[in-house]
Amino acid sequence: MPGLFEGFFARHRKGATLAALVLVSLICLLLSNRTVVIKPKEIGLSAAGFFQKGFTGFFRWFGDTAGSIGQLRAAREELAAARARLEEMDQATREVLELRRQNAELKDQLDFSQALSPERIAAEVIARDTDNLFSTITINKGSRQGVKKGMPVVAWQGDIEGLVGKVVLVGPGSSQVLPLYDPQCIVSARVDTTRDEGLVAGQGKDRGTIVMNYVKKIAKDKISYGDLVVSSGLGGVYPKGINIGRIRDITAPAYETSLVLQVQPIIDFDRLEYLFLIGPMVEGPPSAASPPVVPAPAPQVKP
Amino acid sequence: MNRDFRTTFFTVIALAICILLQSTILGRVAIRGVRPDLAMLVLVFVSLRRGPMVGQVSGFASGFLEDLMNVSPLGFHSLLRTVIGYLFGLLSGNVFIDPFLMPIILAVVATILKGILSGIVSALFGIESSGFITFTGRVWIEVGYNGIVAPFFFALLNLFRVFKQTDKEGA
Repeated sequence: MPGLFEGFFARHRKGATLAALVLVSLICLLLSNRTVVIKPKEIGLSAAGFFQKGFTGFFRWFGDTAGSIGQLRAAREELAAARARLEEMDQATREVLELRRQNAELKDQLDFSQALSPERIAAEVIARDTDNLFSTITINKGSRQGVKKGMPVVAWQGDIEGLVGKVVLVGPGSSQVLPLYDPQCIVSARVDTTRDEGLVAGQGKDRGTIVMNYVKKIAKDKISYGDLVVSSGLGGVYPKGINIGRIRDITAPAYETSLVLQVQPIIDFDRLEYLFLIGPMVEGPPSAASPPVVPAPAPQVKP
Repeated sequence: MNRDFRTTFFTVIALAICILLQSTILGRVAIRGVRPDLAMLVLVFVSLRRGPMVGQVSGFASGFLEDLMNVSPLGFHSLLRTVIGYLFGLLSGNVFIDPFLMPIILAVVATILKGILSGIVSALFGIESSGFITFTGRVWIEVGYNGIVAPFFFALLNLFRVFKQTDKEGA
């Protein structure tokens, strides 16, 4: 019997190997789809993160070195201007310190408690997905820096803060972020002007827009093109009031009771470099890494 | 060291480097977020040169590595790359690879095959990916991109002795 088996294997070596490898892949697929296998991915992520950091750093070093020669002249001029500004800033700083002291005194007198603000972790994008099938973003912060699975991620582009997605996989020194346009990314949202709620979901990168569903049809006349969509805070994953995008298209399918809104994300995902991960609420004033949220237009009061 | 083992070993290293390049520096030359799949081109090249055994084992190892790095379920890329490596390995010795036209055709066929296979696997296992949900723009960008890159990349790979086919094996 063993001889028969060996003979069969010798005759069909390639086919048997193919069958074995396909079988291993299928078993892995079944197990990982049931989220049983988690650890190997985390180990893989941290190992890959190490090399990705190295690659990014290596190529950035070359780019920076070439660019720095041209920048040197400009830097000299900037230095002179900066020195002049420094003088002005010194004066301003003294005034700010005085104002802060006065502010603290007044707050004490009014018995205000310290506002709650979310802790933020700044991170740099070090890699993207290895191929075009999936769409994760790898960042250079992991569990060692306090990153946790499910943390919302935002970024600043221009003067606007926008939602990027959430952390889906955390390694010791790097993590992976699922972007907003991924079909698996679902955010509880509302139209900022009308306060109508719905769910925003990705449609893949092909479409260029994300979709907002479950907005009541009755709101159709109130919602306009260009209206801002923000996170509603429901569900507890994403904090309230983070900019998501602007409405590009409004359709009211006859067979559905809700509207379908196409939303153009605020963030250009191809230009992402630095991200902020939003942690749990902590007491105290916002940190330096926590820029103030761009004030959204005041909600309209409906009769 | 057995030549097949040596080739497989160096192929997996080459594939790992390509995967790292794709996830980092190639993002700068992406067209609408689509990068060329250099790892797949290496796999196709090596499979055609060294046959199905080297192709499928290299494909499995590199695919598994890719699965560990990505959000994709474990086994997804290893399955795709095993099958692609095996199928292109079957053509080994039967296809004459000229410097220009054949690399383009092979890259185009391999990318479309990857699209079809990933669609089937995604449908069977209920995997949601933002890439090849349907055969829309991004897939065709990748088909074109891989086709353009392939002749140059194959020429580069031809310089490495370890990937070359011996006369005896080619016969």
